[in-house]
Amino acid sequence: MIRLSVTARIALLSIALALVSNLALVGFVWKTTSADAIDAIHLETTEQSESLRAVWRSGGMKALRQAIGNTVVPGDVSLVLAVVDAKGQTVAGVAPARLAVPLRPTQFRIARLGRDELWSARESAYALHPIGSDWLLTGRNLDLIASEERAIERALALAVLLSLGLGVLGGLVLARYVGRRLDAIASVIETAGEGDLSRRVIVVTEGSDAFDRLAARLNVMLGKLEGVMAELRIVTDSLAHDLRSPLARLRTKTEQAVLIADPDAREAALGGLLVETDLVMRMLTMVIEISRSGSVSRDRFVQVSLPDLLEEIAELYAPVAEDAGLVFTVAIDDRPPAIALHRELMIQSITNLIDNALRHGAGGGEVTLRLVHRTDGIAIQVEDRGPGIAEADRAQAMKRFGRLDSARSTPGAGLGMALIEAVARLHEGRFELADNGPGLVARIVLPI
Amino acid sequence: MSRKILIVEDDASTSAYLAKGLTEAGHAVEACADGRDGLFLASEGIFDLIIADRMLPGLDGLSMVSAVRAAGIATPVLILSALAAVDDRVDGLKAGADDYLCKPFSFAELSARVEALVRRSDRAATEPQKTRLSVGDLEIDLLARAVSRAGRTIPLGAREFNLLEFLARHAGQVVTRTMMLEKIWNYHFDPGSNVVDVHIGRLRRKLEDGFPTPILHTVRGAGYRLAVEA
Repeated sequence: MIRLSVTARIALLSIALALVSNLALVGFVWKTTSADAIDAIHLETTEQSESLRAVWRSGGMKALRQAIGNTVVPGDVSLVLAVVDAKGQTVAGVAPARLAVPLRPTQFRIARLGRDELWSARESAYALHPIGSDWLLTGRNLDLIASEERAIERALALAVLLSLGLGVLGGLVLARYVGRRLDAIASVIETAGEGDLSRRVIVVTEGSDAFDRLAARLNVMLGKLEGVMAELRIVTDSLAHDLRSPLARLRTKTEQAVLIADPDAREAALGGLLVETDLVMRMLTMVIEISRSGSVSRDRFVQVSLPDLLEEIAELYAPVAEDAGLVFTVAIDDRPPAIALHRELMIQSITNLIDNALRHGAGGGEVTLRLVHRTDGIAIQVEDRGPGIAEADRAQAMKRFGRLDSARSTPGAGLGMALIEAVARLHEGRFELADNGPGLVARIVLPI
Repeated sequence: MSRKILIVEDDASTSAYLAKGLTEAGHAVEACADGRDGLFLASEGIFDLIIADRMLPGLDGLSMVSAVRAAGIATPVLILSALAAVDDRVDGLKAGADDYLCKPFSFAELSARVEALVRRSDRAATEPQKTRLSVGDLEIDLLARAVSRAGRTIPLGAREFNLLEFLARHAGQVVTRTMMLEKIWNYHFDPGSNVVDVHIGRLRRKLEDGFPTPILHTVRGAGYRLAVEA
């Protein structure tokens, strides 16, 4: 099978459409013109034969001949009007010398009337009515209609030619336009396929045609893809960068452990290696949890009572806070009904918040885990009285691997807040940091 | 006590490492690398424990576990997998596994879980439900939820009691931090902070303060063990 380019197909389609529409139009004109003309002749023939028969009835053959003589216009070859005898020979008027059609009463018929040169070439529409022993023949030659039909047929041929010409021209113009728009889109996709996601399709008509709508959607998709890729790059770079330190420590400690001769001291050193390895593992697990959280389906959600959940977490963490010399308080303002949550991820987020508060806000002496009913939802918040995070630094703190310089000296990979942010998003809520004057309020706001 | 353990793991080095460790611990080990072979061997019903990877050729681990359970085989199954997210663990347990351990794992953790699993299935099969547990001079009344040591009552909070009960049910065995987080708090992730140690520390003070011998021991790099040691 021959494979045609899109441009060629559009051109062919346009030609075919032009052809079909022109043929249909001309064909319709041809058909109606012919039918109308026959109808008019039918009417004329009937009227004429009736009026001439009336003349014959009142004035006899003489009056009829006179009427025929008055009606016939010399030189008008289209008219058929005559009196013929019982043998079919013309006795008066305009008709073939001898009729070739059967002599019987005829209302309206189309046939060739005679065999001689003048009449043989064309058909006539005629009517035959008996008048005494003779016959009255009325009608018209169809040569006029035939010539009209020829003219229309010529128009038809011209229309076909014109259609072909216009079709080719229109098709080429259309194909060129469509091709150009498609090429522009294809080229951007091609560049994207090669890895450059920065190019965008130019929107021509401000989104009013299908190409622009396609382009706009494609641009949005490319934008998102570019964002994701940029984030992925940051994550990969940061992960590689942040893994270097624990791995370097791991290496140094392993090297030292190998060199220790005393078995007890070596065992202690090896224990330290395990702690370091676990840190790396935890970091990797958290990265996986964050990237997976976007695709967690809602069938993982279970109905959870937030006050119960918070009390449970507080029960786990209160001794830890106390051991760190902090006053740990749980404050539950009211008891909202259970809501659907991914329990594990939510617990992980809340414990991350508490861990952060214990780690960075310990200097303030107190940490509060609070459930607050707000106009925009329910907030689970952890408040500390530590140094807090300046407003300008908060966005950075919430990014993946976004550790603030002040936190660089403490353990952690800067993933905790990113996980909380991802989990809040998973629950169609948000994560925000605020000032506790002094200290930090970190809250997960969930819609209700 | 020697157990028959089936290892279904397609990674040859992990399989060999597991087999070596478990054999050294006194178990009889059989290994295969294909899910279908695993299902076939498990169907013989001669194993005390099955350790299965998730990503296996032939038949994946979860389908294998489901098929084993569908065949009415109650042998405890421990899934060992690199798929470590919370939802992966939930999927594993839902498929019918009794325990789930993420790769890379520490052998101490695996060993503790193996002991816990086979003990539990033994107990379910032979022992009547106990109402009292005792470890040395420590007495735990499970019905009254009361604890005493050498006749002296030790008041414990609800969570502390659960923790002690779990340790006592595995007396003499290592119980890891993650096992405690999973069983006592139902948390399937590693919080990374020393929460379990803090709770154990408090429990230990209550169990040991004023008594001459320690009873709750730290096993370096692995976890804790409740036992009277000479």
